[in-house]
Amino acid sequence: MEPNKTYHRKKICVIFFAVLLFTFVVLGRLVYLMIFRGNYYSGLAADVQQRERQIKAARGKILDTNGVVLAGNKSVCTISVIHNQIEDPEGVIAMLSKELGISEEKVRKRVEKYSSIEKIKSNVDKETGNRILSYGYSGVKVDEDYKREYPYDELASKVLGFTGGDNQGIIGLESVYDSYLQGTNGTILTTTDARGVEVDNVGEERIEPVTGNNLRTSLDANIQMFAMQAAEKAYIQKEADSVSILVMNPSNGEVLAMVDYPEFNLNEPFTLIGEFAQYAGTKDEQDYCNQMWRNHCINDTYEPGSTFKVITASAALEEKVVSKSDSFFCPGYIVVEDRRIRCHKTTGHGSESFVEGIENSCNPVFITVGLRLGADRFYNYFEQFGLLGKTGIDLPGEAATIMHKKENIGLVELATVSFGQSFQITPIQLATTVSSIINGGKRVTPHLGVQVEDGDGNVVKKFSYETREGVVSDSTSEEMRFLLEKVVSEGGGNKAYIEGYSIGGKTATSQTLPRSANRYISSFLGFAPADDPKVLTLVIIRNPKGVYYGGTIAAPVAKEIFENILPYLELQ
Amino acid sequence: MSGKKKGEKKQVYFDYNLLFIIVFLLCFGLVMLYSSSSYISANKFGDSTHYLKLQIRNIAVGMVPMLFFAKVNYRRWRNLGTFAYIVSLILCLLVLFPIPVLVRSSHGQARWLNLGPFSFQPSEFAKIAVILFLAMIIEKIPKQMSKFSSVLKVGAFLIPLLGVVAYGNLSTAIIIFGIAVCMLFVASPRYAQFIGVGLVGVVGAACFIMFAGYRAGRVEAWLDPENAGDAGFQTRQALYAIGSGKLFGKGLGQSLQKMGNIPEIQNDMIFSVICEELGLFGAVCVILLYMLMLWRMMVIANNAKDLYGALLMTGIMSHMAIQVVLNIAVVTNTIPNTGVTLPFISYGGTSLVFLMSEMGLALSVSKGIRLESME
Repeated sequence: MEPNKTYHRKKICVIFFAVLLFTFVVLGRLVYLMIFRGNYYSGLAADVQQRERQIKAARGKILDTNGVVLAGNKSVCTISVIHNQIEDPEGVIAMLSKELGISEEKVRKRVEKYSSIEKIKSNVDKETGNRILSYGYSGVKVDEDYKREYPYDELASKVLGFTGGDNQGIIGLESVYDSYLQGTNGTILTTTDARGVEVDNVGEERIEPVTGNNLRTSLDANIQMFAMQAAEKAYIQKEADSVSILVMNPSNGEVLAMVDYPEFNLNEPFTLIGEFAQYAGTKDEQDYCNQMWRNHCINDTYEPGSTFKVITASAALEEKVVSKSDSFFCPGYIVVEDRRIRCHKTTGHGSESFVEGIENSCNPVFITVGLRLGADRFYNYFEQFGLLGKTGIDLPGEAATIMHKKENIGLVELATVSFGQSFQITPIQLATTVSSIINGGKRVTPHLGVQVEDGDGNVVKKFSYETREGVVSDSTSEEMRFLLEKVVSEGGGNKAYIEGYSIGGKTATSQTLPRSANRYISSFLGFAPADDPKVLTLVIIRNPKGVYYGGTIAAPVAKEIFENILPYLELQ
Repeated sequence: MSGKKKGEKKQVYFDYNLLFIIVFLLCFGLVMLYSSSSYISANKFGDSTHYLKLQIRNIAVGMVPMLFFAKVNYRRWRNLGTFAYIVSLILCLLVLFPIPVLVRSSHGQARWLNLGPFSFQPSEFAKIAVILFLAMIIEKIPKQMSKFSSVLKVGAFLIPLLGVVAYGNLSTAIIIFGIAVCMLFVASPRYAQFIGVGLVGVVGAACFIMFAGYRAGRVEAWLDPENAGDAGFQTRQALYAIGSGKLFGKGLGQSLQKMGNIPEIQNDMIFSVICEELGLFGAVCVILLYMLMLWRMMVIANNAKDLYGALLMTGIMSHMAIQVVLNIAVVTNTIPNTGVTLPFISYGGTSLVFLMSEMGLALSVSKGIRLESME
């Protein structure tokens, strides 16, 4: 029997300690992996183990000034399938194709696709979703979802705008206030095994969605409705291309109604209507959609024509180059340099005072006044009134003013500008500028967004808008209100006169370019009460058939609106 | 030394510490095996206890040789070393040929022999055979072991077996090589040469890994498991499990990675479930338990009555140590992936039965140790 020698023992110890050394190496590795990299690896593990399903957040509502919902949400369902959890694929395919009205072939493709989760159809109404649930097939998921719903279809379509497939705002208020209206989507994290089958005893982790905030606007659904009906009537009667109506509060710039008829159905924004309907299905369909969605009140400019005389008169009164009692003589035309510019009344208005000149909307009177101002001063007023820039309204795509360069304004240009021709502004720019003249000289920012509210009506954010005092003096403002009241009570705007109300206003008939096409834009700008304006209305009828004088066709539309909204707003 | 022979018969020692650790590890192994395999076996076989039942059977079967080897005086095996070596060489050769009924394949490699109701991995038997064989030779020529050339000659006997095993199963060959080096290291009074052999072994293993076709992808998977695609999948998933265990783990039975994410979870990768469920704390406890076991083996080896017993213990101890360290190193991606089971805890019949036989041998050696030197 061979004995165990000392060196044997020593060497056995060496082996043991070598093993200990290696053990410390792997222990160190374990500490590194489990303590220092623990969060990293458990995050990656969770990615492997959890399946994410989104819970869509409801989008905030758009409310009118009284809280009437103009844009809300409808509960719908999204139907998806989880391949690995389906036990009876044939049954599922037959059921889904029957309930959802999709061909079996299409459903089969989705069901048999090897993916973690496959969406079959979204925007399925609730009853269908519940019916699908009641079949009790495993592997079929019905998730609650929201779809934007516009209860009034066409009402204020171009102002409100609509949302796309991901609930994002596309045009109008929906796009401008998207960040407030968007909610935060939630998620359902389901723990699954390697095959994607849900693990029973581990609960779902839910991150609840947060509903978006509501937007309170200055729009008044009733006024918008009155205005739209009036626009529709004029559109049909005059066979016009389009009719725009703006109703705003001249003292603070709040827009009460903005109509651009024909309006489209917000619940089907991609369905081409009216003159565009013929292009449905063509390759330019999208371009025509964009045209249909265009809001002429802000996206396009036009020559304002005689309504602009309000601005010429204000500038002249402010500079004191004219007074109400100044007398003029209109022979039916006026010669500026080598041009003979006609008055709309070719026989001439004869001798008239400045007040009568405004009532008659006499071109030679305003050309004379404009020439007295001179190009420099007139241009400076253009700037002071804010006509050179944009109004800053909270709607996308506002068009800029198209105006002569200061150094290019000769006498002829000055003469045409004086009665509202040879330059272009947007309807909202005209309404805003006139508002600031008649409200005592305060330039306001036209707007629709008033405040952001949470679901309980608490104010989250109140919007403030820039104002600029001293655009015109109080006395000029007062004189203008007096003059414009005369236009309605005694002058060319008399078709807007309503017994018992004091209304100020100005008509316009402008010929569009090219002049040879004989196309006109008739418009009327009115406000009430004349001495303390609380509401201002601008009616624009584009390319009416038959009689095209603003005083004849646009003023009655404004009258109809005033008749409805003045009692509604309880204004005298 | 001669004076101490008197007390030998009276004081019959038995290492209950070692026995306790073995029993504890076996029971703990059953718990972890059930925890790690219940979900997948319920899905695969419709019975969550599928692997648990088989492992209980394996333990029951393993009890028989363990008790047998513990009971019989280990010196009786001295002359069977050559026989064991030749039998294991034949069996390992046999398993290389795809004989239809006799040989079973797994993962593209033939590793099992079918013997009636049991299947059997000859490479596991080769480990114990090498321990018996080397202990036998060294005890016969102890004086010559001081010459390094004789050490190499003895080692040369193992080349045929190593070659055959390595052809089908590199990790087992590495383990056998490691056992042999440890035993020869203890037998020889020299140091320097063994360091050289160790270096050659490491370089050789590295070269083999580089050039062996089916392992080339494993190197990439080792260096960057997260971007190695399918090759790094198992390692990656094991790392996720280990990392998500953090300090105290998710709690017994709470692993999520065991739900089919980690392949071979009940086998080579069971340590990752221990980490995920019991945390760093549990993992350290398990490692300490193994260290305690190795320490008991060292004590038995150092106090063995004779050189043969000491050598047997050295072989058994190094076998245990290599498997434990390699397994944890693989699971933690410290070394490239290679299939090594965790003793007593991993699922696997042959491995368990032979490990328990070795434990029987160890207990038998412990019976003869001289208590005086233990104090």
